[in-house]
Amino acid sequence: MSITIKLFPKRLLAVAISVILPVTGFAANDLELLKQEVEQLKIDVKDAKEWRNQNSLMHMAGYADVGYVSNDNPAIEDSYTVGTFAPIFHYQYRDQVMLEAEMEFSVAEDGSTEVAMEYLTIDWIMNDNMILVAGQFLSPIGNFRQNLHPSWINKLPSAAPGFGHDGAAPVSDLGFQLRGGFNLGSMKANYAVYMGNGPELKAEIAELNASTIDEIEYDGIEAEAFGADRDGEKVVGGRFGLLPIPSLEIGVSFLSGKATVSEYEGTDDVSVYTASPVNDLSDLSTITSSDYDVTGVDVSWRNKSFDVRYEYIKSEVGETTISGFDLEAAKWSTWYGQVAYKIPSTKFEAVMRYTDFDSPHGSKDQQQTAVGVNYLIASNFIAKLGFEINDNPNAGQTAYDRTLVQLAYGF
Amino acid sequence: MKFNNKNLILISFALLGLALSASVAIAADYPEKGNFVKGAKAWADNCVRCHNMRDAKELRDDQWITTSFHMRVRGGLTGQETRDIITFLQQSN
Repeated sequence: MSITIKLFPKRLLAVAISVILPVTGFAANDLELLKQEVEQLKIDVKDAKEWRNQNSLMHMAGYADVGYVSNDNPAIEDSYTVGTFAPIFHYQYRDQVMLEAEMEFSVAEDGSTEVAMEYLTIDWIMNDNMILVAGQFLSPIGNFRQNLHPSWINKLPSAAPGFGHDGAAPVSDLGFQLRGGFNLGSMKANYAVYMGNGPELKAEIAELNASTIDEIEYDGIEAEAFGADRDGEKVVGGRFGLLPIPSLEIGVSFLSGKATVSEYEGTDDVSVYTASPVNDLSDLSTITSSDYDVTGVDVSWRNKSFDVRYEYIKSEVGETTISGFDLEAAKWSTWYGQVAYKIPSTKFEAVMRYTDFDSPHGSKDQQQTAVGVNYLIASNFIAKLGFEINDNPNAGQTAYDRTLVQLAYGF
Repeated sequence: MKFNNKNLILISFALLGLALSASVAIAADYPEKGNFVKGAKAWADNCVRCHNMRDAKELRDDQWITTSFHMRVRGGLTGQETRDIITFLQQSN
């Protein structure tokens, strides 16, 4: 009995040691191994980074929109649409330079994909008040084109007539600009001045008969960036914005230079006009350039619920002569006034905009009243319902109303 | 033993996640630090000049740098305003 009692604790101790020793030994080895693997993983992940140091940053932003358009014009069917997918790439080296590039993808009516370079600039941060922006950039003339046109920012599903790729307001240019901001006493100011390749002009030939030209007139301004200055005429312009108080901004814009007719709208071969030969525009140095001037004013004001905007742009082209045909001076102008009201304590926003676009061609004039209701699913994800009442004030001209639905997402 | 292995696997995933998140978020040493309070005001005053306000926690610290510099170019902000805004956004993250 006494032997059994003496042996029992020894057996128990032996069993306990035989069980615990292997377990603790394994855990210690395994944890050490795990630590080594994690350290190695940290090194692998660090080495796998796009940038080996923190001096370079990369970020992608952008926006996209899809929707549905119903048109009162019986010749145009109601359609689902993909407006735009516009990724913006930012590459930055410290606080010295930034590369910005925005691509614009859209789906054409025939189903093909269209790609365009919206802008591509290298921005040199020169000092606290000045940045050199070189490359292809959105026109700094006015406010809508450079700051408000992305669909997640624009409070209506469409651009105001004359502010799109169709009219009075320049869209983009290629050159360089200096821009920045500074304090003016208790007020703030911002500026942009630039020099660029400038626009080209389109003219329209009116026939007397199949071989004879009656007259030539300006058809439109191609105010999108050209990769080469084919007419050798640069333009100079800019915008100055003043903020007397943070909620109010008043901007004035100007642009001046020369532009040249480079295309006959709707006419591929001018050799058919045997009775009245006309320059085929293959060599722009043989064409007399026209004066080109743009002026603009924009005002914006807001408080907690209201966002009010006004913008006016006028583009003028002076007279010129092509092969003995006089082209009369022409003017395109447009303005809009917009009021948006964010209904307190809700995610709803009501918008109303009136636009009056005048062009030298009566068929293109447009007076538009647009109303809309937005639902802000998130601050950068907006569902829009808009209705456009379109009117052409000229006799014999018709404009059709549209209903638009749009989902816009900024990222 | 099985219990121990499960724990080890969980721990290793947690450590891996920490390692990944720590290495992806780049702690840049620029721009120089601005003023948090002035940054909050500049952020509130300037963003809504064009678009709806975005959540200060929406992006990583390094992404706020590129975004703020993009907005500096677009909105005509001064360098000091940009530094203040970045400081506010990063400290709000």
